[in-house]
Amino acid sequence: MQFIFSPDWFLGNDVLIEGFSFLVLATFFFLCWKYYKLSKNKNMLYLGTGFFLIALAQLATICTKLVLYYDTSFIQQIGQMVVTYHVVKSVDIFYQLGFFFNKFLTLIGLYMIYRLPDKKKFSKDFLLAFYFIIISAAASANINFIFHITVLVLLVMIIQNYLDVYRKNKSKNTLMLIIAFSALAFAHFIFTFSHLPLFFVAGNIIELLSFVLLLVLIIRIFRAEYKTKTIRKK
Amino acid sequence: MDIIRDMLAMVRDKGGKIKPTHLMYKANLSHNQMKLYLQELEKNSLVKKSVADNKNLILLTEKGRAFLNKYAEMKSFEETFGL
Repeated sequence: MQFIFSPDWFLGNDVLIEGFSFLVLATFFFLCWKYYKLSKNKNMLYLGTGFFLIALAQLATICTKLVLYYDTSFIQQIGQMVVTYHVVKSVDIFYQLGFFFNKFLTLIGLYMIYRLPDKKKFSKDFLLAFYFIIISAAASANINFIFHITVLVLLVMIIQNYLDVYRKNKSKNTLMLIIAFSALAFAHFIFTFSHLPLFFVAGNIIELLSFVLLLVLIIRIFRAEYKTKTIRKK
Repeated sequence: MDIIRDMLAMVRDKGGKIKPTHLMYKANLSHNQMKLYLQELEKNSLVKKSVADNKNLILLTEKGRAFLNKYAEMKSFEETFGL
């Protein structure tokens, strides 16, 4: 089972990119929480939860990769345990769990964001979707591209939702959001070929670009100015 | 909340101070409605009353300005995500 797709010269850079992604996603969660407290709009809370789960997923993969890439005392302890107790599979289980949580949390977070426009967010097919997400995350342990294809499909559906939003509001911010998600979808398409080192690197760079766009979006939101509406009727 | 932020924006657009009657007409509120909303704004320290040259004025506080900025951010965020 392959855990490392990064070429040696790129080792660690993917962790930095995931760290940046985590910060951007955590900022979105923080903003959703702040605005939910102001407006009590439940959709805001729901969106924030989606971002929070994806941020947690990035954290899971960062922790797993730091252990995987670098010789830490934790690795040495596991190695010692392997030698002493012949527990050969303990290291593998740690990595499998870490990457499983990354994939599972990412898929759940994206699914929540996809279901945002629906009035019944936790309808009966949520359980079915939850089951398919677990299957996808588990199967991705051996067949990595299954996860990336699932993410790609979810992102395409999310982009369609935001295209509908853009048709109504014609907002530049929504357009920027669509472009960012499209870049992320393209990154995951590239990741389906991540067994080839250059594709892994390209996917990471495109993913970084998508999160830079999301950061620019955050800055634009902070710079929003309120304009007085016209006089309302009594 | 929309009425409250509209009122605050009207005060801001008048340089941070406005006569109560001007605010009442601009916001298209009755006297009683205006009184209720002003009480709410004062209670939350978003505005304060002042007397200058024998004229009653409503002043926008720093907290009121901060509220307007935060509200604008929130509205922009809601519009972006179609919430």
